Amino acid sequence: MLIITCPWCGARPEVEFRYGGEAHIARPADPSALTDAEWADFLYNRTNPKGLHAERWRHIHGCGRYFNALRDTVSDFFVTTYKAGEKRPDIDASSGGSK
Amino acid sequence: MADHSSHDPLAGIPFDRVPPSGRYGAAGEPGVTVSTTDTPFIALVVARNGFAASVAARLGRAFGVEVADRAGAAISAASTVVGTGPGRFLVLSTIEPDLEGTLRALLGAEAAVSEQSDASVAFNLTGEKVPDLLAKGALIDLDPRVFLPGHAATTVIAHIGVTLWRVHESGWRLLVARSFEASFTRFLVASGAEFGLALENGTAGRG
Ligand SMILES: [Zn+2]
Repeated sequence: MLIITCPWCGARPEVEFRYGGEAHIARPADPSALTDAEWADFLYNRTNPKGLHAERWRHIHGCGRYFNALRDTVSDFFVTTYKAGEKRPDIDASSGGSK
Repeated sequence: MADHSSHDPLAGIPFDRVPPSGRYGAAGEPGVTVSTTDTPFIALVVARNGFAASVAARLGRAFGVEVADRAGAAISAASTVVGTGPGRFLVLSTIEPDLEGTLRALLGAEAAVSEQSDASVAFNLTGEKVPDLLAKGALIDLDPRVFLPGHAATTVIAHIGVTLWRVHESGWRLLVARSFEASFTRFLVASGAEFGLALENGTAGRG
């Protein structure tokens, strides 16, 4: 079973977690100033990389908190997890993400 | 086909009813004793942004225990404070019927307080074989060398949400949402039968 490290609770089994989509997507401060295309881009378009991906996870069956993770979308390896609100760690795929 | 019904400790017990008090499984000294006869008053405290440390300190002073903002159980004779998430504390008391009011007076605007006494059933598990029983449903490491007295976790056991903590060397306490009482008790009985399980049922039929 995949083990995911919640920044608050520590290492826990994956069934306690739910995926929350790509991280670090800020809601536009003034949506009414956007074009439809810009709004659609905020709502729907995601980077979907092959490799390292910064994404939100929720420890729904534990502390209930959202946090962020860097996961390799090829190997499913969790490189690191960090608290919501913190900057994306400066790690690239070559530093041990894929096995 | 072979008849296995005589090996089923839950044979004949409707699946939506809490199994009755009694002995299940192996004869002799029970390896696990399960009791729901203690019905503590329970309240949930959620610290407002920036007040987690202050709320932990106030709870500690008021209940005479050492409370920190982390997953752990601070236990005194009459009260227990359990950290369930950042700035979130479950408070249990056997002597404060108006626990919610007491906590509101204590914490003022620093936290939101909600009454939870009927929300959960408190299972007391004692006996040498408790870790072996829980290992059949738990996904986290509850080995007694790792999960020590005072350690707490909010997790999933047998697909059911549980907040549990180790009270002392051979005593564990589990809080389970009341609507899961029958299902969770069935898990305990089925998993504990090989060790011999004594069930003291305090809440069945509470309605
Ligand atoms: Zn957590």
